[in-house]
Amino acid sequence: MSYYECDVRSLPEGSDSPSRLALVARRLGYSGMIICNRATNGPLFGAGATEKIDKIDVARGVELVASSPRTLHSRTAALRSRFDFLAACGGPERIDRAACEDPNVDLLLHPQERGKRLGITAAKAARDNQVTIGIDLGPMIHLRGSTRIKWAETVHQDLKLIRKFDLGLMITTGPKSHLDLRAPREMIALARMVGLEDYEAEEALRLPERILGLNRRRWASPGVEML
Amino acid sequence: MRSRLPVLRDRKRYIAFELESEGSVRSGDLIREIYASQVSLFGDMGASKNRIKLITFNGGFGLVRCSHRRVLECRAVLATVRAVGRNRVAIRVRGVSGTIKTATEKYIPQPILQAVDDERRIDLGLVSGSVARIRKKEIDLSPDDKKITEGSGTQYVGLTYFDLCGGDTNADGTSDGV
Repeated sequence: MSYYECDVRSLPEGSDSPSRLALVARRLGYSGMIICNRATNGPLFGAGATEKIDKIDVARGVELVASSPRTLHSRTAALRSRFDFLAACGGPERIDRAACEDPNVDLLLHPQERGKRLGITAAKAARDNQVTIGIDLGPMIHLRGSTRIKWAETVHQDLKLIRKFDLGLMITTGPKSHLDLRAPREMIALARMVGLEDYEAEEALRLPERILGLNRRRWASPGVEML
Repeated sequence: MRSRLPVLRDRKRYIAFELESEGSVRSGDLIREIYASQVSLFGDMGASKNRIKLITFNGGFGLVRCSHRRVLECRAVLATVRAVGRNRVAIRVRGVSGTIKTATEKYIPQPILQAVDDERRIDLGLVSGSVARIRKKEIDLSPDDKKITEGSGTQYVGLTYFDLCGGDTNADGTSDGV
């Protein structure tokens, strides 16, 4: 039952300090969360305070926004060693594809924005490079009417590809404030509305912990792990 | 006179919830918002199957009745409520039960939110402002620079005691700096 919220934005990008988000997430039943502020938005506010909160694991990740595949690859190579978790912000098809072709990327976020679907080539590359796909359920909460319908259509299409190629899946609400955080059972209920099965949604909430575990291994030399 | 045969009576579930909000919310506005998000999510015919009804709401905690087959759908409806009027809110489900009595006894505690009357200030460099309310270790700060909360649409900045330790100039003698 170790559920993680994988894409939390804290001050200065969101409106809450990391420790406030951690306290609320713990109260809601999460055992960890990953702060994925954008690297360009300045240093994290009050990062040290989260260490004083027990029973919740607060991991530092980063979200990359790149205008071209080339900058994406160079940024992932530069940031990989500094952060436990790397998320790439998708959007245009070539950026999606570049992110999926980069084994350094852990998570491809927001490909459903503005009615943009995940491409088949990107999905195949994601399978080969073990890149997980993130479904942001935030629009489900923030949007109403036709814009939400278009978003849901895109999510259905993406889910088809994710199932076909057996890709890793994470779900998040992309919270920028503690009021955007939703408890794991609410996340499962929301995920069911867009067509995920209960067990798929549970697995999607557990996956970040597994990936963090893999990323946090320390290697003495190739093939030799420090325990 | 009995209005319905007992065997035809629908089974129900009561969802106890807690409303986290930035300002005070009236029950009429809340149920209107819940109905609106329900219709938006399921459409008219789908919404009619949920049979959602607000039983009680005291400003912080409340009870919602729904059909016993549609609890998960009702959770989704409550999760999609984002704002009531101009107040950003979040509905946290505390538990589900079969009767009003058990739902109230098990899941609805005494309120723990503490409103702060005297204006206490916090200045942490990036963020400064006055304390609006405190809930255990969680602090809502009304920021001087309103731009800081623009992206998330909230009114307050969420902090904790842990953020304040040591650095505050207006400390009133307590070790946590508030």
